[in-house]
Amino acid sequence: MNNIQKNRLKNQLFKYWGIFCTIIGLVLLVVFIGDILIDGLRRIDWGFITSLPSRKPEKSGIYTALMGSIWILLLTTLIAVPMGVAAGIYLEEYSKKSRLAGLLEINISNLAGVPSIIYGLLGLEVFVRIMNLGASVLAGSLTLSLLILPIIIVATREAIKAVPSSIRDASYALGASKWQTIRHQILPASGGGILTGVILALSRAVGETAPLIVVGALAYVPFVPQNPMDEFSVLPIQIFNWISRPQHGFIENAAAAIIILLLITFVMNGIAVYFRNKWQKKWK
Amino acid sequence: MNTKEQRESLNQSGFEMLTLCKLQLEKAKEALVNHDTDLAEEVMNTEKRVNSLDLKIEKDCEKFLALYNPVAVDLRFIMAVLKMNAELERIADHAYNISKYVVEEDKKIPSHLFKALEFEKMYETIESMLDHITFAYTEKDVKTARKVFKKDKVLDKINIKSFSIIEAEIKKDNTIIQPALVLFSVVKKLERIGDLIKNIAEEIIFYVDAEVLKHKRKK
Amino acid sequence: MAKEMEINMENTTFKDIEKDIVIETKKNPTIEIKGVKVWYDDFNAIKGIDMDIKPNTVTAFIGPSGCGKSTFLRLFNRMNDYIEGFRMEGKIKINGNNIYKKKVNVEVLRKEIGMVFQKPNPFPKSIFENVAYGLKIQGIKDKIFINERVEKALKQADLWEEVKDNLKKSALTLSGGQQQRLCIARTLAVEPSIILMDEPTSALDPISTAKIEDLIRELKKKYTIIIVTHNMQQASRISDYTAFFYIGDLIEYDKTKTIFTNPAKKRTENYITGRFG
Repeated sequence: MNNIQKNRLKNQLFKYWGIFCTIIGLVLLVVFIGDILIDGLRRIDWGFITSLPSRKPEKSGIYTALMGSIWILLLTTLIAVPMGVAAGIYLEEYSKKSRLAGLLEINISNLAGVPSIIYGLLGLEVFVRIMNLGASVLAGSLTLSLLILPIIIVATREAIKAVPSSIRDASYALGASKWQTIRHQILPASGGGILTGVILALSRAVGETAPLIVVGALAYVPFVPQNPMDEFSVLPIQIFNWISRPQHGFIENAAAAIIILLLITFVMNGIAVYFRNKWQKKWK
Repeated sequence: MNTKEQRESLNQSGFEMLTLCKLQLEKAKEALVNHDTDLAEEVMNTEKRVNSLDLKIEKDCEKFLALYNPVAVDLRFIMAVLKMNAELERIADHAYNISKYVVEEDKKIPSHLFKALEFEKMYETIESMLDHITFAYTEKDVKTARKVFKKDKVLDKINIKSFSIIEAEIKKDNTIIQPALVLFSVVKKLERIGDLIKNIAEEIIFYVDAEVLKHKRKK
Repeated sequence: MAKEMEINMENTTFKDIEKDIVIETKKNPTIEIKGVKVWYDDFNAIKGIDMDIKPNTVTAFIGPSGCGKSTFLRLFNRMNDYIEGFRMEGKIKINGNNIYKKKVNVEVLRKEIGMVFQKPNPFPKSIFENVAYGLKIQGIKDKIFINERVEKALKQADLWEEVKDNLKKSALTLSGGQQQRLCIARTLAVEPSIILMDEPTSALDPISTAKIEDLIRELKKKYTIIIVTHNMQQASRISDYTAFFYIGDLIEYDKTKTIFTNPAKKRTENYITGRFG
């Protein structure tokens, strides 16, 4: 077999290998989702969503966990997003490219990879005990904010880096100050990218379980949080709790809750993809 | 061909034209003095070659201007070559016409007429002028080019006297009217050739030094 | 209100914060360059240049790649300040004021000295917003004034007829040549007195190039223009004066006609006849 034939063969082999890998991934996903849907779809009705948890599986609902997740989501957004975006802007636009800055960049990237339970332990010590916030929504949100902060910072920096320097040059050449250039040119141009990163970071926060357990989110919460200092639970924890129970009814509940959680995650990712596409079109 | 090669080729053609026209003039003079009709015919046949070289140089200059956008020294070079070419062509034309006289005229021109009009001196002056501009062209030597202006005055001096000398010779012996008039004509041509060589010298000086000597009084 | 602001613009002295020095450029400014040297860290990019640029002329900077002409151009509106390791010695005086004094307000300087770049770089906004941007960042809010200025600038840039019905369209939908004219309009809207152009037509087709060259010929009646170009024929077509740079030095600076018919320096002649570079 000569070289041309060898190359063609390699080409074909790789192509089929790629298809195979993709199909495996898709198949597994379909199996997983299908399985969940089979187990839990029947259970979902308005009652399920609005009921409080109870000892009887038929009466149990996700209301408090759902509300808890929403509280956490909103509060985390309020805390993490302004800080993360501002830090990203500062690091990308204002800080000088020195050795210190380089060190900082490496450390922030590392933070994004730290196991989330470590954040939980940190949150427990600092927010729950030292700052005396107790096992509250606020403590949970602060903990998750720390977790997703590096992600938001990196996403912001990448989005800003993607803005061509020619735009910056044009703005400066017209006499704009650094802040004017950031406000009128850089942010609008990178907005889509930043938003995408923020939404992805938040959709991760929605699914976090371990750090919140450590902070003290309860497994059995019969009430909806009324203020940031209240105790709380979230969907993932509720799911974890139900799976641990022996009754079959709770397994069904867990599956149903998983579907709801997946729905939230898919919707958030879908929004992120939508904005990313819109943003990319602008630059064509 | 790149710019350098194109320039070199034109340079060569210019030199070729110079050499060819000089040779034509030399042969025409020989043919006239010795009444050599064979040589005269040779000159007349070679005229075709002169014309085709003239056309080639013009075409190459046009091409160079259009395609290579010459500026500064290159531009002056093309302008000089174009004009020099036209002048050399006219010199060759004079050589052709001199040869034509030889072919058409049966009678040989008596040698005492040549002596009276200082013909040899005239021709030698022109020969040295041609040598000067050839050297100036190939070596880009402006000093040598300038030498022709002084030499041309020698031609002018001889030319001024030529009318009265011919008149006197004809009065002495009117059987030589025809050859005398032919020689007189040739002398006039030589004077004009001197002027053409001066023009060529001006063009070379313009090309090398960017100095414009046209229409200026020269020392 | 619009008329008042118009008059203030004409005087072209912008007073911002008291401490800052204001460079009065006025129309027809004189530009003197004295002993200017530039370093990027240890690299000596510009070795020592002295020259005067005459008002209402087009001056072309030519020279082989990397000889420092773009760096030199960017000195006039201090765009090199953003480059790491940039260091400068010497003076650049506009109407007698050194623009490199520490207290000079750079943003105000750039309103007097506009710049057009090699690759057209319109903002990803509408055509109108692009041209109005320079006015917006000065804090001008008068809509009528802004509309007038935008129209005037687009007319000066010879783009008005092509876009007047579509001002809200994105600037990115324009062709390359139109985008570059838009960038020129954007610069003209703030009514500078000096316009710097860094190879403005090198990314454009011949017809767009010709349009912009015509534009430059028109503009020089009101503005002083300095243009960096690799295109020798362009330099000879549109400039009054030409400066030839070579490895950080100014080799020759003279009337364009002289440079292209009989330059004084052999190196200049070798460059323009294509013997190197």
